[in-house]
Amino acid sequence: MMPTRILLATCLLLAALTTRAEPVAYIGATVHPVSGPTMADAAVLVEDGRITAIGDDLQLPGNARIIDLSGLHLYPGMVHAGTVLGLTEIGSVAGTDDTTETGQINAAIRAEIGINHDSMLFAPNVTGGLLTAHVVPRGGLIRGSSAVIGLAGWNWEDMTLHAPAGMHIAFPRGAADDEEDEDLALIDQTLDAARAWGRAMSAHRDGGAPEPAPNDQLAALLPLIEGEGRLFLHADRERDMHAALDWAEHQGFEDVVLVGGPDLQHLAERLATADVPVILTGAHVMPQRGWEPYDAAYVAAAALHEAGVRFAMTDGGSGFTAGNARHIPFQAGMAVAFGLDREAALKSVTQWPAEIIGVGDQLGTLEAGKRATFFAASGSPLEATTQITRAWIDGEEYDFSRDRQRRLYQRYKSRPQPGE
Amino acid sequence: MKHMIKILTLAAVLTLAGPAAAYDIEAWNSAIPDQPEHVLIRNATLWTADEAGILEQADLLIHRGRIERIGEDLRAPRAAVEIDASGRHVTPGLIDAHSHAAITGGINESSLISTAMVHIGDVINADSINIYRQMAGGLTTMHLMHGSANAIGGQNVIVKLRWGADPDDMIIDGQPGVIKFALGENPKQSNWQPDTPRYPNSRQGVNQIIDEKFQTAREYAEQHAEPSGRDRVPPRPSLEMDVLVDILEGEIDVHSHGYRADEFIALLRTAERHGFRIKALHHVLEGYKVADEMAEHGAGGSTFSDWYGFKYEARDAIPYNAALMHERGVLTSLNSDNPELARRMNVEAAKTVRYGGMEEHEALKLVTANPARQLGLSERIGRLAEGLDADIVIWNGSPLSVTSRVDQTWIDGRRYFDRQRDLEARERWEDERQRLIALVRAESEADEEDEAEEKPESPDADVPEAESDPDPDPDRGMNVLRKLLGGA
Repeated sequence: MMPTRILLATCLLLAALTTRAEPVAYIGATVHPVSGPTMADAAVLVEDGRITAIGDDLQLPGNARIIDLSGLHLYPGMVHAGTVLGLTEIGSVAGTDDTTETGQINAAIRAEIGINHDSMLFAPNVTGGLLTAHVVPRGGLIRGSSAVIGLAGWNWEDMTLHAPAGMHIAFPRGAADDEEDEDLALIDQTLDAARAWGRAMSAHRDGGAPEPAPNDQLAALLPLIEGEGRLFLHADRERDMHAALDWAEHQGFEDVVLVGGPDLQHLAERLATADVPVILTGAHVMPQRGWEPYDAAYVAAAALHEAGVRFAMTDGGSGFTAGNARHIPFQAGMAVAFGLDREAALKSVTQWPAEIIGVGDQLGTLEAGKRATFFAASGSPLEATTQITRAWIDGEEYDFSRDRQRRLYQRYKSRPQPGE
Repeated sequence: MKHMIKILTLAAVLTLAGPAAAYDIEAWNSAIPDQPEHVLIRNATLWTADEAGILEQADLLIHRGRIERIGEDLRAPRAAVEIDASGRHVTPGLIDAHSHAAITGGINESSLISTAMVHIGDVINADSINIYRQMAGGLTTMHLMHGSANAIGGQNVIVKLRWGADPDDMIIDGQPGVIKFALGENPKQSNWQPDTPRYPNSRQGVNQIIDEKFQTAREYAEQHAEPSGRDRVPPRPSLEMDVLVDILEGEIDVHSHGYRADEFIALLRTAERHGFRIKALHHVLEGYKVADEMAEHGAGGSTFSDWYGFKYEARDAIPYNAALMHERGVLTSLNSDNPELARRMNVEAAKTVRYGGMEEHEALKLVTANPARQLGLSERIGRLAEGLDADIVIWNGSPLSVTSRVDQTWIDGRRYFDRQRDLEARERWEDERQRLIALVRAESEADEEDEAEEKPESPDADVPEAESDPDPDPDRGMNVLRKLLGGA
C-alpha cells in the first residue's frame, strides 16, 4: 500500500504527462461561451491545449478524460487590457518596480522582458479568474511596446502570447489647448526622425546607401509608422481625447485604440463613426470635476455601448491595482448597476479586451479552435459573492495552492484555538 | 485675477437668483431636507444587521427621525409619507470606520511623534463633494480620522453625512472620544526622506515612545491629583497629557493604524501594562495572524477588503482577513480610507463572501452594525431596530450585489439622497452652467473690446494683452472658468 502522498504525487505526475496527449472532456457545467448563448449542462472538448468542440449533445471520444463540473459555471478566462502585472511587486520598494522607465522617449522598451514570471501577484489573479493580461509600460510620452501574456508559464518567453502588441503614446496633457506644446512637438519630431531613419535603412538595404547609425528608439517605431503596428493612445480629458484622435488622423495612423477614463463617453458618437475601440480605465473612479453628476464614471460604459463602441474595462492598470487586477468584473458590474447590460459587461472583460489587444482569434470566448483558457465558478464573475473554484490555462489546470494568499489563509485558519 | 473675481460674483448672483438655487450640487446652499413626522416603508426586504436577520415583505415605520416599528402590514399614521418598496431592499445606512473624506487642509499634524492635542473636529469640511457622492452610495456615517504620520496622532470625530449642514451639525452628539494611533512604516517615515530625521525609525522605537508617553501621562495625572497648597506650585498643564490621561481613564477610545502582527501584539501589551484597552486596530492586514490575541484583549479589527502588496508591510495581506478575524471572535469591520471606495462599501462587504465564505447577512454587518459597535454608537446607528436613528438605504436589488444601485439614502428620517430627484436636478445644474459660461464669454469679449481701446498710461503700466499679444485669445475667460471648474 503506497502512502497517500506518494500516490497523489504519482497521479499528479501522470496527469501532467498526459495533459496534452489525450482529449479531455469538461462535462456538466453551464457553459458561457460569451460569443453565443449560454448552454446548460454542456460539454467542452479539449485537445492539446485547444478547444476542439463545444455543445450540449457532443459525442465524446472513447479515450477522453472526463472532468465533471456539475453545478458550476464555465467562463472564458478574463482578459485585462492594460496592467503592470509582472512588472511590480511591492509598490513602495523601488527595487521591485519596473513599471516606469525614465525620460520621455522610450519607444525601445519592451514590456515582456521585465516580467517576473514568479511574481507573487500572479497566482491570486489566476485564482480570481484573470488568465490573460496586456502588460503595458508606463514611462514618458512614447512609452514603448506592450505584450499580451498568459498568467502561467516557466519564464516570460513561455508566457508571452503576442508581442509587441502595440506602441503606447501618452497624448500630452495640455496639447489640446496649446498649438506649440513642447511635448507634442517632441513626439512629432521623434516620429519624423523614425520615418527618416526608416527611409535611410531602406535605401541602405535596397540601394546600397551607407547604413544609418543604429538607433533602437527609432527602429522600434517602424512597425507603427509602416502601418503594421497598433497604436494605443492614452488621454484622460475630453479635449485631449479629441485632440489625440485629430493628431492620430493627421499622422496617418489607422489602427488606433484610445485609452482613457470616463470622458470617453463624451466622444461616443465620434468613436463609433470612426470605428475606434477603447480601453476604459475603470468605473471605480471619481467624477473628474466637482460639478459632474455622482455617477459620471459609472454610466460611461453604458454610453459607449449604446453608441456601438467596442470597449474593454480595466482598473487603470497602476502598480497599486495590479494585485487585484482580478477584480475588473466588479468595475463592469458597477456599470451594470448604471445601465450596461450584463452580457456587454461580461464581454468587456473577456471578448472585447482580447480583440482590442490583438488576441481575439485565440482568447476571450469559448469556441472551437481557441485556447483552452477558462475557469469554473459558482456563478457570474461579475458578482463579488461568487466563488471561483478552478482554472485552466491552455488546457493545463492551475494549482490554486500556488496562491500565497490561500496558503496563508489555510495556515492561520488551522491555527489551534486557545485551549485546544 | 480680475476674471476670477468676476466669475465668482456671477456665480453667487446666479445661484442666489436662479431657479436652480435649491438644487445646486453644493452644500452651502443645499437646504436640510424635511423630517416628516412619520415615514412608512412598505413591503421591503429588510436587512436588519440585527438578531432579526433578513425580513421579507416587511414594513418599517419611522417617527421623527427614529425607527419606531418593524413588522408586517403596519398601519400608516395620518399624513405619513408612504414608500412602496416592493422588490427593493432596505439596509441600515452604511458606516465607514476609517475616512479622511471631508477634512479641510492637512490630515496630519506631522511635526511631532505625539500630537494628541489636535482635533479633526476642528477642520471638518462640510462643503466637500465627497459627502454627496458617498451618500449616493449609501454611506450615512463616517469616522473622520487624523492621518498616520505619528505614533500618537490626533483626536478623531464621527460625523453623519448631513449634506448642507454646518460642520458642527454633522457631528454625532454623545459620541465617545476617539483618537488615532499609528504603527509601522508611516510613523517610522520609511517611505519618504524627512527634512530632519525623527526618532523612532524602528517598530521597537514606535512601541517605546508610546510606552514612555503613557508613563509620563501617569506621573502627570498623579501630580495633578495632589492638592495644591500654599507651598506647592501646581504642575504645568499640558494639552497633550490631558488627552493621554483621558485615554488612561477610558474617556477616549484608541483606534490604531497598523499592518503587522508583531506591532499589534506590542501595542496590546503596552496598553495592558498601562491599564487601558485598544478599541480597534485599523487596516490590520495581518490581523488574521493574531486574531486570538486581539479577541482576548478585546480589540476590534477594521480592515480593507482586498488591498495588498502596495508596501512591504502589506505583503502578507489577504482578502480572507475579515472573515478569518470574524471567525476567531474579533469584532470586525471594513473601511475605505478612500473617498472613492467609500461610495461602494456594500461591494467591499460582498467580497468577504467570496473570500472566506462569510454568510451574507453577517457580511453586511461588516459595514453597518460592527463599525457602529467599534465606534461606541451601537445604540444609535448600524442596525434596523426600534429606537435607533432612521439612517437607512433603499436599494434596487440585493445590497451585496455589485449590480445593485442606491435609490434613496435617509439620515435621521430625512431624505438626503434620492436618485430620481438627482436626475431631475441635473438638467437645472447643466442649464445654470451653460448660462454661466455664456456670461463669462460675453464678459471676456467685452473686456477685449475695452482693452483694445485702452492706451497704456505710462511705460511702467501693465501692457494690455491686446498690444503684447497680436492674437488675443477669445477663450481667455473660458479658460479661467475651466480652471475654476477643474478642467474639461
